[in-house]
Amino acid sequence: MIQGALAGLAAGGLYAVLGVCLTLMSRLVRVVNFSQAATGMFGAFCAVWLVTKAGLPIWAGSIIGVLIGGLLAAVIGWIAATWLSEADTTTRSAMTVGPLLLLISLSFILFGNKPQPFAPIIAGPAFTVGGVVISQLTLATVGLAIVVAVAVHFLLARTKVGTRLRALSERPTTAELLGIRSRPLQVAVWFVTGIISALVIIIVAPSQSNDATSLSMLIVPAAASALLGGFRRLDLTVIGGIVLGMLSGVVAQIGQISAVRNFLPFLFIVVLLLWSQRKEVWDAAR
Amino acid sequence: MPLADNRWVRRGWPLAVAVVALAVGYALSVGLNGYFVFLAVSAVTAAIAILGLGIVTGSAGMIALCQLTFAAIGAWVTAGLNYVHAPGGFVVWLIAGTTAAGAAGVLVGLPALRLRGVNLAVVTLGFAAAADVTLVQIQFPGSADGVGVDRPTGFETDRSYFFFSVIVLIVCALAVFFLQRGRIGSSWKSVAFSERGTAAAGQSVQSAKLTAFAVSAALGGVSGGLLAGQVGLPLASSFSPLQSLALYVLAVMSGAHLIDMAVFGGILWILVPELLKRWGIPQDWGFVIFGVLGVQALTSGTNLGQGIRNMIWKRQYRRRAAGRRVDAAAAVDGIDGVADPVTTTTVATSKGATAGPAVLTVEGLTVQFGALKALDDVSVEVPAGSIMGLIGPNGAGKSTFVDAISGFVRGHGGRVLLDGHDLAGLSPTRRARLGLRRTFQQDRVPPALTIDAYARFVARRRLDAEDVESTLAFFGCPPAHARLSSVDVGTRRLVEVAANVLARPRVLLLDEPAAGLSHEEHLALATRIRELPERFGISVVIIEHDLDLVRSVCPRLTVLDFGRVLASGPQEEVLDDPAVMKAYMGETEML
Amino acid sequence: MDDALILDDVTVSRGAGPVISHVSLQVAPGEVVALVGPNGAGKTSLIESVSGVVGHSGGDIRIGETSIGKLSRVARSRRGIVHIEQGRAVFPSLTVRENLSLTARTDAEAKAALDHFPELEKRWDAPTGLLSGGEQQMVVLARAFAARPRFLLIDEMSLGLAPVVFTRLLPIVSTLAESGVGVLLVEQFTNLALGLAREALVVAGGRVTYQGDAQTLRDDPAILHEAYLGRAA
Repeated sequence: MIQGALAGLAAGGLYAVLGVCLTLMSRLVRVVNFSQAATGMFGAFCAVWLVTKAGLPIWAGSIIGVLIGGLLAAVIGWIAATWLSEADTTTRSAMTVGPLLLLISLSFILFGNKPQPFAPIIAGPAFTVGGVVISQLTLATVGLAIVVAVAVHFLLARTKVGTRLRALSERPTTAELLGIRSRPLQVAVWFVTGIISALVIIIVAPSQSNDATSLSMLIVPAAASALLGGFRRLDLTVIGGIVLGMLSGVVAQIGQISAVRNFLPFLFIVVLLLWSQRKEVWDAAR
Repeated sequence: MPLADNRWVRRGWPLAVAVVALAVGYALSVGLNGYFVFLAVSAVTAAIAILGLGIVTGSAGMIALCQLTFAAIGAWVTAGLNYVHAPGGFVVWLIAGTTAAGAAGVLVGLPALRLRGVNLAVVTLGFAAAADVTLVQIQFPGSADGVGVDRPTGFETDRSYFFFSVIVLIVCALAVFFLQRGRIGSSWKSVAFSERGTAAAGQSVQSAKLTAFAVSAALGGVSGGLLAGQVGLPLASSFSPLQSLALYVLAVMSGAHLIDMAVFGGILWILVPELLKRWGIPQDWGFVIFGVLGVQALTSGTNLGQGIRNMIWKRQYRRRAAGRRVDAAAAVDGIDGVADPVTTTTVATSKGATAGPAVLTVEGLTVQFGALKALDDVSVEVPAGSIMGLIGPNGAGKSTFVDAISGFVRGHGGRVLLDGHDLAGLSPTRRARLGLRRTFQQDRVPPALTIDAYARFVARRRLDAEDVESTLAFFGCPPAHARLSSVDVGTRRLVEVAANVLARPRVLLLDEPAAGLSHEEHLALATRIRELPERFGISVVIIEHDLDLVRSVCPRLTVLDFGRVLASGPQEEVLDDPAVMKAYMGETEML
Repeated sequence: MDDALILDDVTVSRGAGPVISHVSLQVAPGEVVALVGPNGAGKTSLIESVSGVVGHSGGDIRIGETSIGKLSRVARSRRGIVHIEQGRAVFPSLTVRENLSLTARTDAEAKAALDHFPELEKRWDAPTGLLSGGEQQMVVLARAFAARPRFLLIDEMSLGLAPVVFTRLLPIVSTLAESGVGVLLVEQFTNLALGLAREALVVAGGRVTYQGDAQTLRDDPAILHEAYLGRAA
């Protein structure tokens, strides 16, 4: 059982990082970004292409791939900030379904349907705990999740940019009236989360099913993690992702209910939502 | 246009369209070449699925990303019943599949009752992803043994099966049409626009959302069952999450809440990949195109169907010009017993002003928002058959008062009694149904409805066309068939008042009903409100700023200031109180 | 002579019709212009059209000779237009210090705001969402101070505040005006507002029903009463 849990820890770190990105986007730019993983996926595939077809060294291809992921996210963010700045969260989020669809299909066209030949950047065991091997990958993803969460917290709480971002997310109109330029700040948030997603996907992709759809669908466990934090709290998101990963690992080991494994994120989501909204709340907008 | 006003035409035209569609379908089934017939069945099944999406997304305003998963459930049950040779034949299995999908929709939608649009999207995507993996593992019944789904007797050939699918499409379209036109359809559009407005009209928000989800999922199930009959051996790949995403985007882009656009969407679903195939372009570009068009539709806030409709309606509206409230003056003269509106500073008393037991009693109402005491020990009595004005400076707590009485504020101190019954713990929906109705200061009237549909929805009782027309005319509203989107905010709120009057409540709370109306319309409304107790037996509480209107309409007044009752009683007493005048003009003794 | 804020026959529309029409006024630096009238008259919409929260459908808005009607909210704020919104627009999760840091260039400037509002000293690190209404309004005013405005648009500063608190805050507006800021003041405490202003406009039913000397209006309540009821005096 513990083996299963630790085996799922790497995935847990992945879910946590993506979940943190989703939480950030939700808090700061009022969007649930359904294309969060898809932009990362596309950047990762570009990296693979650059390494295998264009002959770039792995580190160069990876960096360019990460940048591409960030730029794609920034473009989507620019569209949202320009045309949907006054729209509600639902409409802004619905708009991101388009790029999700688009990117998956585009990747089929450009890179084919078969799994991509990822060369692992981070691999191998890190250390052993009580007979169980903790891989470097696990360290990397969980570490990244914690580092990002802490860094973001620090940025928001202690820096001037962070204050502006928080102001912008609480009362966008008042912030603009005070001279805070909302569009560049919003696009910057999209860009940064795009970079982070691309980075973590490039790291993780070699070790799991890495076709375009599977990678893009990481949005589901990511959202499940973010839901534990109510799309607001970063610490709970990290915990949620790690717990979800470990749970999946445990369930995978138990043969009888392994079919249920697929439904785990879904059930996680439903239970969390029902719990968090057990008191009836009126739609704040109308 | 005389033809359009004929009652039989208005009732019967959907059936006429259905018959024509049937004929067209038959002609196509005979006339099209074999390859196209097969494609056409796919277009029909897609159209039915999109029709479902149009309800949950287009009408009810929620994001649903698992429509094809419901289709998979329908296909699975149909194939399963076929495999075990269940009695009844294809049609029965199709209905069973539909029911199963609808039930799944209810289950998936239950979390949606508390969820708003985005959270529901996450749930449905999670459901789609999970079900897809499961489906790939367990496959469809009969696929292992190569046992295909038997088509209905008499419709075995491709051509006749196409005609069968057209019949199913027409049945579904008619069902959706009549649902959309009735109370349920109005509840969907209302809940998409404003949950508070829906609850205040006595409609449960939960059941509106749940019925939208169930009907939508059922239509998905029909689509899946039909597909199972078309291909015999359905594949999991036809129902993947990616396909559901594409279908969602297509539905949003084409405006699928309109039935004709849903059919058009089904045609596009087939047409775009076919065209790409002909031009030698990889089929995946189809979804890329859908993605781009979807983004365009969502950023521009409009869709294809609505764009076409708006163009047609603009022409019709210009021609009609009857939607103007300019006719209000004429309408007033035409109504028996209603005098011309006059500016009056004399006190108008209604005969039942002080008679009768209290219909609404508020005792010690206290509302606290954090550190702010919005209402402090407010006690008020509204006698039956009277009109009470609620005045006071901005921020005095008047709207909070109405919110608390109508049930939108939880956890307040004090009691609210309607005809002596304590309303504690009752939701706004329940209170509305018990006869406590309110209007809103903000515009909560769904523009997607016609005035007639909205009025019937709010009234919640059987109404003759004459009832509706005469009440609307009494208030000087545009004709019943006009669309709420085509009238301005002030008129919409006037319609809100008229519709709530049609509900014949015990008490009607009006929150600044005249805001947005011109001075003359203000006075005309005042005249109508004066009539409400005698004409309709409704007691009224009205929040207003216009002292002129208040003086001519309200024999009783309550003045709120900083959440406290400053004065309450007959109009002359209250307005003579110097403290009241000071508070109203914004001054107090301390200054 | 510094440029004045000029509204030239401005009309603001919402949805299907005009909310307030044909308003012309000038606010010179150091001058206070009061805008009074019953609710729903369109005063807030007018203020919002000046700061750019909403657009205007007729007329022009200028600072001196330069038209600002097409500029964004951010651009207008860069030109020195500070809009104090109705209802105490603080950022609830930000502390007093953080709220002020949004407009003050340095920490010293932010602290300087405490000169006018010593009560805020002990609340310096408290999230403004937890402050009382009066304290929140002080934060808003301090923030406006620190923004070094040329023109201040104040929308019902007194809303929901006890009179005693309001009398504490009103002199700040005078101080600001004396330092050369042009103030457009929307208020429902009419007498106090008129006491500060040189010129006053009464807006009722979407139209200006009185425009002239504030003192005259203050001295003769009958004019005000008539104007409130929508009849031009």
